[in-house]
Amino acid sequence: MSKIFQIALGILAAIGGFVDIGDLVFNTEAGAKFGYELLWVVVVGVVGIIVYSEMCGRVAAVSKRPVFDAIRERLGFGVGFGALVSSQIVNLMTLAAEVGGMALVLQLLSALPYRPLIVVAVVGIAVVTWLAPFEWIERIFGYGGLCLLVFAVGVIKLHPDWGSVGHGFVPQMSASGHLVYAYFAVGLLGAAMTPYEVYFYSSGVVEESWTPKDLGLNRANVIIGYGLGGFLSFALMITAGALFLPQGIEPQFVGTVALGAQVPLGAIGLLLALLGIFFAVGGAAIDTCFSGAYNFAQFFGWEWGKYRRPSGAPRFTIAWIVLLALALVVIMSGIDPVMLTEYAVIFSVVALPLTYIPILLVANDRTYMGRYVNGRLANTFGLLYLVIIVVVALTAIPLMIVTNQGQG
Amino acid sequence: MRSPTELDLGVGVLDHQLVDSEGRRCGNVDDLELKGIDEGFPRVVAILVGPPVWRGRGRLGRLAAAFARGQTVRVPWEEVETIDSAVRLKKTARELRLGRGDDRARRWVEWIPGS
Repeated sequence: MSKIFQIALGILAAIGGFVDIGDLVFNTEAGAKFGYELLWVVVVGVVGIIVYSEMCGRVAAVSKRPVFDAIRERLGFGVGFGALVSSQIVNLMTLAAEVGGMALVLQLLSALPYRPLIVVAVVGIAVVTWLAPFEWIERIFGYGGLCLLVFAVGVIKLHPDWGSVGHGFVPQMSASGHLVYAYFAVGLLGAAMTPYEVYFYSSGVVEESWTPKDLGLNRANVIIGYGLGGFLSFALMITAGALFLPQGIEPQFVGTVALGAQVPLGAIGLLLALLGIFFAVGGAAIDTCFSGAYNFAQFFGWEWGKYRRPSGAPRFTIAWIVLLALALVVIMSGIDPVMLTEYAVIFSVVALPLTYIPILLVANDRTYMGRYVNGRLANTFGLLYLVIIVVVALTAIPLMIVTNQGQG
Repeated sequence: MRSPTELDLGVGVLDHQLVDSEGRRCGNVDDLELKGIDEGFPRVVAILVGPPVWRGRGRLGRLAAAFARGQTVRVPWEEVETIDSAVRLKKTARELRLGRGDDRARRWVEWIPGS
């Protein structure tokens, strides 16, 4: 049983990172536009995040150094500071969007007005993160997010054309709308490999004081956690392909995503979908909020960690509270949370190389890692994904502009 | 301190985490003070910590220093206990006047129940 609980870190990182509000909409939109044609991109993204999360977790377990320590050590103060500023802007955008997403789900559940519910969501996150220990935060949001499995049940009931679904796992270029297709491919990859997932995950490994003995647990966490995240992404995309594409529906609201479970499964499906979305998006809010505080603390050398009492790591504590307050201000301005995450995903893609290059360097440093340095498999995949990341980083913003955010 | 046969100061020390004798994180190695360069025998005499030091770390370092407050703290190299992935010190942060930002910030957090 304790083993099952220990997988919670991976599940929270994956549910919160993989299936956050942007992915919910990105995957659903991709399915509604291209049916099953983009399923293979999710596979590429899942393998990529598994490769780099495993590396980050291993580095953190062996050396006790999370990602932003490595970034500053390898890139130096100047470039590291650039990486810090850009990743914090993206973190804040994502956090604001997740908070907005929580309020939207609460609104669908309660029919109360949106803005007061934003305050409810922010206060709720603050109270839970203040009171609950790290492991309980993981469990509540990680396992709560599992309600999203309702989409997988829905898929079976929808009886999609399994032949075409299978065909979607084969890499292909779409016959129509090359650039829009490429934009969605880049967006799906970016959403799968969002840097805040590894900031959170590697810091979580230090929070839980894993040692080299836990490297098996690390591997199990990333494979099961992100594998599950990928599985849920498939379910969302197939649902959209089977349901929304034939009707010509363009899902741009959180409610439309939940509809994908209501049509095949009725009211229970809708309720489970909304609960799953709520926990996934709430988990992502905590991930991004903490990632922001971890990054500041690690870059500047402050004491940090939820395992310390708040007064034992005061600047870290103030950092997450301030970030949450800033997110409240941003989302209260009335900006659309779904649009905000799409921007955040695309901008985060640009910061990907600055995050993943230092990891690859540190994971190969014998003075740091001893006998736990990267093996040939990790390096082959690491380098392959580095090339993919650089290509994606260079093309993301031009594609966003040319395709008018995928609208064509 | 334990002396490794070879230590790359740029990769192995600069920008690394400082940890005091009680395991508290208390700043990063923002710069190193070298002596004896002119004589041809350069050696590290101190670790420098604090926002004013960032000014010597490129254009973005100067920018960061402009937004931060705090003084330079000089930690003599003799105070280094060991170097692994962090630089571990022989004394407490308080004795070395490190981590004072966290000490100052504590009163903003302390009054909240459960802190």
